[in-house]
Amino acid sequence: MSSARTAERLGRILAMVPWVIAHPGATVDEVCRRFHYDRNELVSDLNLVFVCGLPGYGPGDLMDAYLDDDEVVIGMADYFAHPVALSASEALMLLAGGMAVLSSGTADPVLQSAVDKLTRSVLPDPGVIDVDLGSEPGPLALLRSAAAEGSVVAIDYVAIATGEATSREIEPWAVFAAMGNWYVSAHCRHAGGERVFRIDRIRSAAATGEHFTPRSTPPEPGVRYTPGAEDAVVQIRLAPEASWVADYYPVTTVASESDGTVIEFSASDPAVTARLLLRLGGSAELLAGGDAAMVRRELSGLRDRILARYM
Amino acid sequence: MHRVIERIINLLAFLLTVGRPVTADEIRHTVAGYDEKSDEAFRRTFERDKDLIRGLGVPLRLAFTDRFEVEKGYAIRPEEYALPDPGLTDEERAALWLAARMARLGGDGVAPSAIFKLGGAAATSTGDPLSADLGADATVLEALFGAVVERRRVRFRYRERERRAAPYGLVHRRGHWYLVAGVGKENRTFRVDRIADLEVEEEPAAFERPPGFRAADGFPEAPWEAGVDEIEAVVRFDAATAWWAHRQLGADTPVTEHPDGAITARMRVASPEAFIGWLIGFEDGAVLESPAELRSRFVEHVRGPS
Repeated sequence: MSSARTAERLGRILAMVPWVIAHPGATVDEVCRRFHYDRNELVSDLNLVFVCGLPGYGPGDLMDAYLDDDEVVIGMADYFAHPVALSASEALMLLAGGMAVLSSGTADPVLQSAVDKLTRSVLPDPGVIDVDLGSEPGPLALLRSAAAEGSVVAIDYVAIATGEATSREIEPWAVFAAMGNWYVSAHCRHAGGERVFRIDRIRSAAATGEHFTPRSTPPEPGVRYTPGAEDAVVQIRLAPEASWVADYYPVTTVASESDGTVIEFSASDPAVTARLLLRLGGSAELLAGGDAAMVRRELSGLRDRILARYM
Repeated sequence: MHRVIERIINLLAFLLTVGRPVTADEIRHTVAGYDEKSDEAFRRTFERDKDLIRGLGVPLRLAFTDRFEVEKGYAIRPEEYALPDPGLTDEERAALWLAARMARLGGDGVAPSAIFKLGGAAATSTGDPLSADLGADATVLEALFGAVVERRRVRFRYRERERRAAPYGLVHRRGHWYLVAGVGKENRTFRVDRIADLEVEEEPAAFERPPGFRAADGFPEAPWEAGVDEIEAVVRFDAATAWWAHRQLGADTPVTEHPDGAITARMRVASPEAFIGWLIGFEDGAVLESPAELRSRFVEHVRGPS
């Protein structure tokens, strides 16, 4: 039996025992519901507790643990009257998750009091942890409820790569935060397939009144980028101050040298690459080869368009 | 598995009640489940059991068994072992459990062990289409979190420099975790995913946080507000990009609307470099009108090396 399974089972016992001690008369159903047991699993864990206790291990040293009709009974176990303190990873997951969902501005108000209580109990000072996904002034709340209810939404979307605005009808599956932005994944009727849209780029959104049947197993939300055959692929040398690019974008690192990192960057539209290069300025160098010529043309066009406004 | 679990429950019961540190040898001869093993088998078993116990969050400590400081033994202080009851209602537990499952750290979701300790909650599916990927290498983040809570100093490598810092707090902004820490007399901010070779020092309560410290204070709302400069930049956004600019500008940024739908914003810029990068995202849909110095710096950046 793997140690992960052992730890899981032991952890559940050490949490269930104190709860039952604190709630005399607890029913089997209630204990099973809270601790995700089925009846057989619960019985087998109680049998295990029943043979444990203090040195001597005589009848007066072992714990009581059994079912009395529909009631769970545990006794002689005062030393297990409290659950184990949260580990750092458990406390962090609960707090960060709670704070993240709160910051979306669409959470159940009861979550606020839950996070406040846990913060007071776990953190030495309030305010040492802070998670803010960035309040989204766009249509996040509308898309979230549309995904939950299966409402078709009409959006005006401005593509990042091209700046081109399109109107589409989407069947939203999920809204999610990743890499500092909010996204909605959806079936796009305009494109006839799955698409992921950045929510801050949705200029307007409104439910059409039409409903769709939400998929029972929507794809895991995430920003997926699958390079296509038509992609512009180039190699870029990043100076150390631009090394964040390798963390931020899904790129392949070709070489790490003392004076910088060479990455392979692919994008379905060379305009994306050109804009990145222009932002990075002197801290990135486009290397020859691949689609470099195409990207270079794009870059010089972008330069000229911006500079034309400063003549 | 039965025998492992029985043995560990017996070990915990013993250490929680004995009230003093006990040597491995005493444990071997007292706690049921260890007695029949050879020296080598006992050593290996006991090592595994200790790892398992600590993994559950049990504070198993090593302390001298007597005042002559000759021998060390294991101890669990009941007051350290016990979870202080945060007093959650069933509704609050359910909301917390739901929220925790919507978030992922380093690709991992929350383990039910966390909510079991708090009194359990029904295992309903989230049924909620909202989720958040909080990124980060969970191991580094957890170690930093422990250090923040217990006020232990940390050592790490950051941008090729060795650092020793007092970890005051952790902040998640724009897709990244940041450590706010005291280095010498200054407060500094480090991006967690660039922290390498992290070591947490042994001594707890090794520093005090500045009075009234809040990790989010001084954390800029927008990237161009992170810096030391104080520049007021005036930018005109065309009608086509005005809506998008509007969404990203703070509520306290003064904005003038023009009849054609364009807007002029007076922005507080503390980091010209970040500001220029952000403005390039608008391509030719925006013009930086003033100040002249920043304007020429922008033009120079766009023009690039000749």
